[in-house]
Amino acid sequence: MKANRPALAALRAAVNGVDLNRFRFWVQLASFAFFLYGGYAAVNLGSHLPLFACVYNRVGTAGAGAGVCYLMPLQLQLARPWNTLFTGASLFILTGLGIFMLWFLALNKAWCGFVCPLGTIQDWLTALRRFVRIRYSVYTQSQFDWLKKIKYLLLALAVLIPLGIGNGYITRELRAPICQICPGRVLLPLFSGDYSHWNIDFTSTTTVVMTALGVLITGLFLVGAFVKKRFYCFFCPMSAFLFLLSKPALLRLKKDGSKCTRCGDCYRVCDMQIKAIADDVVTADIMADDCTLCLKCVAACPETGALKVKYAGLTIFEATETGFIKRCQKEHCRANASR
Amino acid sequence: MSCFAGLDIGSTAIKVALVDSDGRLVGVHVAATGSHFHHNAQEALQTLLTRHGLAREQVRYLIATGYGRKLFKEADDSISEITANALGAHEVGKAFGGVRTIINIGGQDSKAILIDAQGNVANFAMNDKCAAGTGRFLDVSARNLGLDLDELGACHLSSTGTPLAINSTCTVFAESEIIGLLARGHGKPEIVAGIHYSIAKRTVRLAKRVGIEDRVYFDGGPALNKGLVAALQDELQRELVVPEFPQTTTAFGAAILARSEFLAEASLSSSAA
Amino acid sequence: MPTLPAEPTHAVTQPFSRSRQAREAEETLTHLVNDFDDNPESMDYFYDLFRRVFCQGESLEREGVLVGTTCIHAPEELIYALGATPVRLCNGSYHYDQIGAEFMPAKSCPLVKATLGLLQDPHAVPRVGKLDLIVNPTTCDQKKKSGALMTALGHTVYDLEVPPSKDTEHSRVYWQRSVRALTERLCQLTGRRLTRRNLRAAMARTSRAQAAFRVLHEHRRAAPSLVLGKDVFLVTNAFFFDDIDRWTAAVERLNAEIAGRAAAGFQAAQTKAPRILFTGSPPIFPNLKLPLLIEQSGGVVVADETCSANRMLYDMTAVDEWHLPDMVDSLADKYLKPCTCPTFTNNEDRRRRLLDLARTFQVDGVVYQVFAGCQVYEMEQKSVADTLQRAGFPMLAIETDYSPDDLGQLTTRIEAFLESLKARKRHRPT
Repeated sequence: MKANRPALAALRAAVNGVDLNRFRFWVQLASFAFFLYGGYAAVNLGSHLPLFACVYNRVGTAGAGAGVCYLMPLQLQLARPWNTLFTGASLFILTGLGIFMLWFLALNKAWCGFVCPLGTIQDWLTALRRFVRIRYSVYTQSQFDWLKKIKYLLLALAVLIPLGIGNGYITRELRAPICQICPGRVLLPLFSGDYSHWNIDFTSTTTVVMTALGVLITGLFLVGAFVKKRFYCFFCPMSAFLFLLSKPALLRLKKDGSKCTRCGDCYRVCDMQIKAIADDVVTADIMADDCTLCLKCVAACPETGALKVKYAGLTIFEATETGFIKRCQKEHCRANASR
Repeated sequence: MSCFAGLDIGSTAIKVALVDSDGRLVGVHVAATGSHFHHNAQEALQTLLTRHGLAREQVRYLIATGYGRKLFKEADDSISEITANALGAHEVGKAFGGVRTIINIGGQDSKAILIDAQGNVANFAMNDKCAAGTGRFLDVSARNLGLDLDELGACHLSSTGTPLAINSTCTVFAESEIIGLLARGHGKPEIVAGIHYSIAKRTVRLAKRVGIEDRVYFDGGPALNKGLVAALQDELQRELVVPEFPQTTTAFGAAILARSEFLAEASLSSSAA
Repeated sequence: MPTLPAEPTHAVTQPFSRSRQAREAEETLTHLVNDFDDNPESMDYFYDLFRRVFCQGESLEREGVLVGTTCIHAPEELIYALGATPVRLCNGSYHYDQIGAEFMPAKSCPLVKATLGLLQDPHAVPRVGKLDLIVNPTTCDQKKKSGALMTALGHTVYDLEVPPSKDTEHSRVYWQRSVRALTERLCQLTGRRLTRRNLRAAMARTSRAQAAFRVLHEHRRAAPSLVLGKDVFLVTNAFFFDDIDRWTAAVERLNAEIAGRAAAGFQAAQTKAPRILFTGSPPIFPNLKLPLLIEQSGGVVVADETCSANRMLYDMTAVDEWHLPDMVDSLADKYLKPCTCPTFTNNEDRRRRLLDLARTFQVDGVVYQVFAGCQVYEMEQKSVADTLQRAGFPMLAIETDYSPDDLGQLTTRIEAFLESLKARKRHRPT
């Protein structure tokens, strides 16, 4: 702690004692509205966003959202012959990737935890489940271990299939394959009154399969997210992609293993069932590949300084004993009030 | 002339040491504790002072150590015998090139102390629950063999055969074992040597708990026993540093500390003035 | 066999107060209070409590079901939720230790012996009343086997199965199942159902108690010290049997007083007093022999890692969703995962905790108490000593038991250790 100034200390204490879940709820709501309706305010953040703000979300010809998910442009751009891919004609792909990375590095995976509309929908489904008092499901450790590989597979397909299309091995009907099976395509346009993506396209076998798969996966998304917290995020190719690029990010989740008592409180509240957050006392950069940086773990940690959120090296939020106790007491007060 | 005193009030013997204002040893004295230790301690101190022509008022600071340290109210301060022993051994050991491990065999206990280069205690281990391996064992054995304590050393060194193994771990049971050996016609020198080796083995085990580092200093009353010294050197596989007056190292350490505490207090009060 | 009186009396019972148990307690309390100046006024609540319960034999009997526990592994929140009262039976009396020795091998844990001694005497003090159930976690060997001995004495015992390791997923699941099974047994015993509401209320009470303890724990960081270890041990020992809400209120008052003292620049111990971290076999009243000795010899116990103090109250539970299965599983995890008890296979967490405490509380040395006969603590001694010494913290290991005979020997060792710590501080560059 550098400053002995009481004002700074008071500010830190206030921030560290904040009701994080409530704060996150409002940020998510605002982001959801922004990315789904921001286009009406003529905001356009471009098509290199690291979240599922779907390009299909539009009313008429104008875009309704404030920006577009990068996976679609990436898949479409990669669908070109091998030899053109490495010439100056494809330089714009690199610049696109660069812009995407700049967006991403600003918030690291907190795009997933605080901003992504699909993430927000899942959290709302979780809230619904809690309201009707149904218990959530968890994966066993062995299930967890083999299921977590799926997102990397999907990411690989997102790159390989367009390359295959570009080189003539795969039909053009499979262009932007991830978008075709993505629940974002089916769900997000609903918020602008567009139900068209629920239809099965009978043009050819491929389109039948892909659109059916899209609807099926959307159904799975809805049921899965109801039953398991952040179900889809576990399989999300964007999540895998972001993690692979996360080394230079500015927002970081840090752990000080010497302060950790391994009480597992962080693991208990983690939506993604990440065990390393509780058990790993050696690694300092504790953000795992599944992590959505929702920061519930930091809020649930009773040991001062064990978990910290840093932005460009500056600690902006950390686990503190007093913060934990304050949140605990608020929880109990809420319970007493609801009696 | 100012002097500083260290008083080691042990269970069997009272040891007094005096140092002058330069920290040099003036003299030592050993007396029996008896049953009125307070009176005997004062008498022992007075005897030593008289011998060197000093008056009680010239003793500027007195530190008591040993089991009876807290009860000797006339002392200016008290300190554990471990710390006192360490300081004394460190000081005496300088003449031998510095000591690190200290082995003390007393009347009723035995200790091993590891010190650092400044003479501070780094680690210590004590055997104060059992009389085996202490001076008491020697007392009992000497009595059973019809010898005086100070004859044990010479007796050991005159032995020609191998030292006999004394198997009993308990001093009391060893008594019967010794009597049995005598009855079977074994020679006293070999029995005495066996007793010394028994103590030495036990002591080395204790010393290993703190770490045996060059050089090893051996003190306490039984260190006067040359036979015991030989046995201990054999078990340790190294030479021991044995001071001229091994019983009084602890008292000497207390006296040295008395001097440094007095000087520290004096400089504080003079700087405050 | 004489029967218990129908109405427990609160008056001073003459024959009892002359008993050995009472005399032991009285002597310890006298030292705790009189050997030190300026005891905090809020401590009077605790001194008075121990006097009434241990010296005068005041009854602790409460209404409703009484559940005895022999280890902090037993989740007390479940007991409170079902309207019952938990009473920790771990005992520190030499008198009961000697009685219990009839049932146990020669060299065995005095804590277990004393607990057995307490349980075989229908007029034992503290007067806990008739226990409806004893929950006996299967932690160390001696505790585990004492369950059968307690049954033989006429008590109803429930073996709470604790896994021997806490690192694997299956041990975690095993423990969660154990806790659920305990819940069912307790429901059967009390005739009530565990609901979200009653468990949440129970967890709120415990959480408040833990928060109060954490504040006290933080106060001990102050250098020079604001409160002595002997008082903190007494406070946590009171948690074994005192009414939880009254206890919490008393600790909150104590915390306020200490904060006031801090503002006034008060010192409870000398500036140069060696700061000690106390770890190992738990000091249980009246066997506060070693911490008391350390403080009488000029040291101050600023932190501890024992199950009769810090470990019992430190770790707090976090719950994600307030549904009954989640709440019970969260409790189970909290009782197992951060636990640094030496009965588990590896002691990595314990060593890390000791290092963290030693550094945060700026201790000068560590005192490691091992009860004679306690294998688990004895076996961990070397690894703990190595870890601490490598980090620059000297450690003194002391083997002792409940008998008062070794006080002279302990004094020599403690004093020598404190003297060596003071010497180290003098020579160490600041």
